[in-house]
Amino acid sequence: MLWYKSWLETRWRFLIGFAVLAIMACGTIYDYLAVQKLLPLAPAIEPTGELGRRLKEAVEIEREFRGFVWLQWFRQNLTQTGTLFAVLLGSGGLLSRSSGGALFTLSLPVTRRDLLTTRAAVGLTEFFALALVPSLLIPLLAPSIGQTYSIVDALIHALCIFLGGSVFFSLAFLLSTAFDDLWRPLVVACGIGLVLAVVETAAGSAGRVGLFHVMSGESYFRSGAIPWIGMLVATALSAGMLYASTVNIARRDF
Amino acid sequence: MSEPLVVEAVDLRKQYDGTHALRGLSFAVPAGSICGFLGRNGAGKTTTIKVLLGMTRASSGQARVFGLASDDANAGVEIRRRTGFVSDEKDLYDYMTVADIIRFTASFYPRWRADLEQHYIRRFELPLYRVVKALSRGMRTRVAVLLALCRGAELLVLDEPTSGLDPAAAEDVLQTIVSHVAAEQATVFFSTHQIAEVDQIADRVVIIDSGRAVVSGALDDVRARFRRVQLVFEGEAPDVTAAAFRSPGIERIDRRGRVLTVLSSAGVEAVVEEARSLNPVSVDVVPVTLKEIFLESVKVEN
Repeated sequence: MLWYKSWLETRWRFLIGFAVLAIMACGTIYDYLAVQKLLPLAPAIEPTGELGRRLKEAVEIEREFRGFVWLQWFRQNLTQTGTLFAVLLGSGGLLSRSSGGALFTLSLPVTRRDLLTTRAAVGLTEFFALALVPSLLIPLLAPSIGQTYSIVDALIHALCIFLGGSVFFSLAFLLSTAFDDLWRPLVVACGIGLVLAVVETAAGSAGRVGLFHVMSGESYFRSGAIPWIGMLVATALSAGMLYASTVNIARRDF
Repeated sequence: MSEPLVVEAVDLRKQYDGTHALRGLSFAVPAGSICGFLGRNGAGKTTTIKVLLGMTRASSGQARVFGLASDDANAGVEIRRRTGFVSDEKDLYDYMTVADIIRFTASFYPRWRADLEQHYIRRFELPLYRVVKALSRGMRTRVAVLLALCRGAELLVLDEPTSGLDPAAAEDVLQTIVSHVAAEQATVFFSTHQIAEVDQIADRVVIIDSGRAVVSGALDDVRARFRRVQLVFEGEAPDVTAAAFRSPGIERIDRRGRVLTVLSSAGVEAVVEEARSLNPVSVDVVPVTLKEIFLESVKVEN
């Protein structure tokens, strides 16, 4: 029944995230109709500088539906919004007074490790559903605008988002074992995410080993190469932080 | 033959951020007893309970419940499986309904008493489909008590179970606990600063002050140990201090006009013997209330 408690504590964050991402996924598909009309105007753009180069590259990628979906949905919307909901699902005073019932929970005949493991499992399952289900809407709804999208591509990109995003989930989870409120883990984890995004962008091609690069699945989109190493590193980082969370909560007094 | 000990604390010490919450606390609670844990606010009662249930680790010393070390994670699970607990703040999940939290709690206890659950739901007239957050303080306490009593627990640890309740509700909760213990033969360890509650339902008492047990034992023994010896003199009572008595356990001496009052915590025979040497016109031995014992033990001026 610990899973039920964890579900009750996180369900609104999950359901809101699910609704937001599902609407955004649908929006992405039907946006393509408008983009198709604008694309013939694109050759007239003669950009200069790094920003111009990127714009031109984006236009070229978006000429194909597969490229449009990757750029708009997997690289931008799902990566950014998914990161935010990963942090939200990981935050929240796991055994703190602010969540209510901390002493009642601690009086149950379960170890603190069991409590945290269940909470992490429920949160990660919810995050997996957030990464997967809206992404599967793309191949499902694409025929409605006369396009197709590979289910395998959707699954692989969703996996990249899930494993990369689980690092942010675990970071927020770890911070929640140190802080007793919802907001500090949320703000600190989002702050770290923002700094990481800025550093990866500023690093240019060196940023291709970064976490957001893994989440976007760019190597798979461009060359069909699944970023196994990045995914493994993200999984290891995530597991390390979850383990640190159990150690931290085990030594705390309540 | 003496009863086995259900709770045993030996020289418990706990320091938080430079504050000494427990300073060598030692006491024992035998099986089948109702032990009142009396102390002022901030005396260390809640910290002690948290240490016993493995929620907080003692800095040093030993706490054992059912003979198991409470600071061991696995032993702690076993202790909590056999213990019903009501926290001071009646800490429950605000977002669950009463029915939800009962179902949730029952799932952790193989010996959950469904018959008692139904009995207490009816007796307390609990609104099963109302969320805990919307319950009154009294109703919340009743839910917390139900959740503790239905666990099939051998030990009930109750941290100020009646705090914040009106007298009628407090009496109802106390009577529920007493009748439960009588029927189920559980051991009860309850903290309070209501002396009347200890007087009413306990057969043992531990008085804690500044993190130390200052009085501990069977309530009848404690009452028998504490006695006031009243000496009346023809003229002004002599100006004597505790040091003038060789008898142990002289807690306080009051001198008012012709009357000298000696409070002893170690029996009175030797005190009376010594007092007669002061040539009083009368010597009376008067029993002492638990309130007086408490106030004297925690050094508060009555």
